[in-house]
Amino acid sequence: MDVKLRIHRFVEGRKWIQDYTVPLTTGMTVLEALTQIKEKQDPTLSFTCSCRSSICGACAVRVNGNAELSCEMLVENLVKRYDTTELTIEPLGNFRVIRDLIVDWDPKYARIKKIKPTVQPKQEFSAETGCLQSPADFNKYKKYAGCILCGSCVSECNKNTLNQKDFLDPFVFVKAEKLVADSRDRSPEEHLKAVVDAGLWRCFNCQECTAKCPKGLDPAGAIEKLKAATFRYKLDDNVGARHAKAIYDDISESGTLDESKLNIKSEGFFAAGLRAPMALRLMHVGKMNPLDKHPVNPEIDTIRSIVKHAEAASKEEE
Amino acid sequence: MKFALFPGCVLEGAAAEAYTSLKKVCGKLDIELEEIPNWTCCGASHAQGVDDLAALAVNARNISIAEHMGLDIMTVCNTCTLQLRTAKQRLDKDKELREKVNGILRDSGHPYEYKGTSKITHFLWVLDDHPELLEGRITRPLDGMKVAGYYGCHILRPQEIMDHGDGKHPEYLERLIRRLGGDAVWFDANRKCCGFHAQLAAEHDVLTVTGQIVDSADRAGAAAIVTPCPLCQMQLDMYEPEGRDAVGSRAEIPVLHLQQLIGFAMGMSKEEVGFNRHVSAQEKLKLG
Amino acid sequence: MSREISRRTFIKGAAAAGVVLAAGSYFTWNGRNIPEKVQRGDVTYDVLIIGSGGAGMRAALAAAEDKNLKVAVMTKLIPTRSASTMAQGGMNGVTGVTDPNDSVESHTFDTIKGGDYLCDQDAVEYFAERAGANIYEMDYMGYPYNRQADGHFHQRKMGGHSHARASYFEDRAGHAMVHTLFEQCLAHDIDFISECQMLEISMSGEKEDQLNGVVAIDMRTGNLLGIPAKSIIIATGGYGRAYWIRTSNPYSSTGDGIVAGMNIGIPFKDPEMVQFHPTGLSANGVLLSESSRSEGALLINKNGERFMSKYAPEKMELATRDIVARAIATEIEQGRGVGEGIHAGVYLDFTKIPPERVHERLGQVFDLSRRFAGVDITKEPVPISPTCHYSMGGLEMADFHTGASRVPGVYVAGECSCVSVHGANRLGANSLSEVLVFGHTAGDGAADYARANSYAGSQDKLTQDCQKWKDRFDEVTNRPEGCGKTVPEIRDAMVNTMWFKAGVFREENQLNQATQELRALEEEYAHCYVGDPSHVYNTAFEQYVELGNLLQISHAIVQGALARKESRGGHTRRDFPKRDDKNFLKHTLIFKDKKTGEYRTEYKDVVITKYQPKERKY
Repeated sequence: MDVKLRIHRFVEGRKWIQDYTVPLTTGMTVLEALTQIKEKQDPTLSFTCSCRSSICGACAVRVNGNAELSCEMLVENLVKRYDTTELTIEPLGNFRVIRDLIVDWDPKYARIKKIKPTVQPKQEFSAETGCLQSPADFNKYKKYAGCILCGSCVSECNKNTLNQKDFLDPFVFVKAEKLVADSRDRSPEEHLKAVVDAGLWRCFNCQECTAKCPKGLDPAGAIEKLKAATFRYKLDDNVGARHAKAIYDDISESGTLDESKLNIKSEGFFAAGLRAPMALRLMHVGKMNPLDKHPVNPEIDTIRSIVKHAEAASKEEE
Repeated sequence: MKFALFPGCVLEGAAAEAYTSLKKVCGKLDIELEEIPNWTCCGASHAQGVDDLAALAVNARNISIAEHMGLDIMTVCNTCTLQLRTAKQRLDKDKELREKVNGILRDSGHPYEYKGTSKITHFLWVLDDHPELLEGRITRPLDGMKVAGYYGCHILRPQEIMDHGDGKHPEYLERLIRRLGGDAVWFDANRKCCGFHAQLAAEHDVLTVTGQIVDSADRAGAAAIVTPCPLCQMQLDMYEPEGRDAVGSRAEIPVLHLQQLIGFAMGMSKEEVGFNRHVSAQEKLKLG
Repeated sequence: MSREISRRTFIKGAAAAGVVLAAGSYFTWNGRNIPEKVQRGDVTYDVLIIGSGGAGMRAALAAAEDKNLKVAVMTKLIPTRSASTMAQGGMNGVTGVTDPNDSVESHTFDTIKGGDYLCDQDAVEYFAERAGANIYEMDYMGYPYNRQADGHFHQRKMGGHSHARASYFEDRAGHAMVHTLFEQCLAHDIDFISECQMLEISMSGEKEDQLNGVVAIDMRTGNLLGIPAKSIIIATGGYGRAYWIRTSNPYSSTGDGIVAGMNIGIPFKDPEMVQFHPTGLSANGVLLSESSRSEGALLINKNGERFMSKYAPEKMELATRDIVARAIATEIEQGRGVGEGIHAGVYLDFTKIPPERVHERLGQVFDLSRRFAGVDITKEPVPISPTCHYSMGGLEMADFHTGASRVPGVYVAGECSCVSVHGANRLGANSLSEVLVFGHTAGDGAADYARANSYAGSQDKLTQDCQKWKDRFDEVTNRPEGCGKTVPEIRDAMVNTMWFKAGVFREENQLNQATQELRALEEEYAHCYVGDPSHVYNTAFEQYVELGNLLQISHAIVQGALARKESRGGHTRRDFPKRDDKNFLKHTLIFKDKKTGEYRTEYKDVVITKYQPKERKY
């Protein structure tokens, strides 16, 4: 069986889609297919790769709209998944393209720098005697140390696609959580503050990053952990944090969300007032009635107790 | 077929039409629903960002009540499904965590412990798993009506938790639209996130993407957008005018809850499925 | 967009003080892969490091401790894509935190014995004394060490170790090292000159011993830059790609720095010393971990025989890497293998191991086999064959106290160098420690040199060298189709020669044939077809340059192997199966004649301090 690869080309300002046909063989990865094209059909096709065993992060591309490490993605599996022998290959999204499938990483390094990307060891540690850390504390961040900087997580990030200026790439959040959760660090709030300033709460929670990470690191989960840490370090004075807190508090107050008050709690009375036209529109179709009294769950005492006990247990864990 | 229903907050409030239409449609499909008594908010994908363990414990309580009922749980909201399934997966995988959470439930006077006996599924998945439910019930097929199927995020991702079909290439919503007699149209923005959860923190971006989705469905010739998630529905319907302004589009298109579209195909009227409670494009929807 | 598209413009000459561009034409900078001061042309680096793996970045951090020095790291990829990321096991260093009975002496001896006594023992002592300190230092830099109960990093025992002394992060020790060093480099604002391929080290003076700087091509624009530097550190990694598909190394391990070093008079030390790992996937050379055999996987030939009983009846599959590699190669040669040509192998059979244990302990092996060979190892055996794993040989480090080569101002570190601490066979988990210890040393050494000397290179010569490469780029990339064989065709022919005639087994006849074949390939290379005329990110040209380097490396491997009439460590001569300490307790040094390009072999005695050579038994 043959597979047709529709590759998005970009050379010296010219853009086009070029079709190549390669025979499908068992165990052929996307990278091998690209290599075969370059070696046997078209030496001008350009892409980067290095280790071809999913650890260096050089070869991520987008296949049919989804970021993949080309060295580990089998063509036969893609043919099965998309039920077609035609695959579209593009450079990663949310990167500037230099040529064909090669993208520009430099702006990303500047973004990593924003979060002060190193451990600042506590006073009692030294370069000569190293640091101490319990295995349990190591476990708190070890997952996030597995990032290979391949860029897959940001390729389809919905927030970055709309605007990269007031937000970071998911892999930067992963690095930040790695540092914040590392018990060797003396000032997690420094990284945290940088992350909040750089847009932590603007995450859409769309889970694209988690779905795309080839290492299973769950960047969206890292973002949630960073958010929780901002409450511990009292860096929660912003609309996103207040909104999350309002929802959280509703669970203890009544058991369910009180929609009519959420915006006021999150944005303050005045800012929420600016949404009056929207509120009127909702009242008009019966979606909102400020006169309704929000019902309280009959088991609210139990629920409050669960939240309190859980909060106490969380504190204990720190 | 019987489920413990976890309706979620918005079905009790702003998206009440989703609840009425669900009850009507399920009643005719032999899906019996019993609401989980005294359920609480799933955390709405925000609570874990305040206190992860508290969010987990609250959902352990929700699930444990359904377990006591002896029923699997069905939801109609993507985010509720993700929150509940995430909690279930963590509790099932990690014995230590389960014991800790059960300790919290016990100390708080909750009568049941979390056991892990109830599965958690979504209304759309139930229909996809049991196509026989719809057989003979489609009395007014959609007659080739062009429908843009909009999954939303949390029903697809992460794959490890929302394990129904391939999250990178799902086809079950389109399949259902076709079963109802509709024509499932492909539109460019069909995998974009509606931005609901960041509406306050990133307002401009969220309105932009809302506009892009609506505009893209309109350009593809869709007569309606349908979604299995009431949050996506609210975002696309309620903010459609602002979304239009943000991207300079004139697209005006009704955004339906999944159960409303099914209701139409079963012969129900607009009023019966609560379509009069929609903000956008009420007059645009034409039924055969 | 139009601003970002490279535009051909002409300038009258590059800035006098700094970066030199090939005269005639240049293309507008495309992005920030090169620091602006380099683009503007107002910098002469004190220490310019070529290569951004563990050695390069460790060296940069050491040199940059002096804030008055201008330090940069140049890489043909971008940082964090290096071979160092692939190291799995750990990094050795005596700290005693896990095994208090460990000692520097023990580490020294294990290294020397592992190296089959070809190590310079004074250098190994220096190395073992410092390796522990580097482990602690990495902890302070934020390395994510796996921990033990008392809070110290945990150390594990690996093959050939007398004590537990390898610190690690999961099974990704190298990956964690590279990313930790990269974070530090970012925090210290080290200049990176990314996506620039070094083409030549430019020298001037009567004896051609005065360093001008480095000639490189900016991949993004195709601009040829001469970057002036007082001192440079070559840290470009190994040369496993001489065996192309039969190596576990990344595509980038093409020996670029070694060839550039040889061209300015640094000898290539012990090039024939290449380590073959027994279990690479036959499909593509990717490594299946050592733990496969320790968990009980069996080696089976075409006839279903567990053939290790013939080669190591007691240890069977658990015999040392070299013995197992030779056994597999013998089976294939004698017709008892499966598959053809470069993909021939034998079976590695996991089906006797309970599937749960495979999933629990051999998860990565399971994944790789399924992915690349399409084999579920819990159900059927997977074809494997030896794969080139590590280059012990490299540019001679003349002074291990400073990392200096014998050319003033030029330093070497990491896998591209030969200190020699690995001798004829590297001990597991010594590669990462070598990178740290000698990266650090070379960084300090180059910094000292830069402080003590002023720049005395010739900008004119640097410009000339740039122009030479610019002309070559234009000529090579514009050759018409049909002018000769393609780069991949010549490369595949080279690999066939290297694998079958200078691979696991070597003998005189075959090595002589290999020499002839490589000569013929070099001639074909001179008029090969590259096929991409673009100046923007021309990876076809990059691969052309890499092939040129690999051909020279291969030539040196064959010449070293031919001259070494004994078997030692990674070098096995069929016609001389025994170690010969009387004649060959010495290092091969291959010099390239600057005028004729011919190779000349010399020898240098191995330094022995207190460990007299003994037969190597495990």
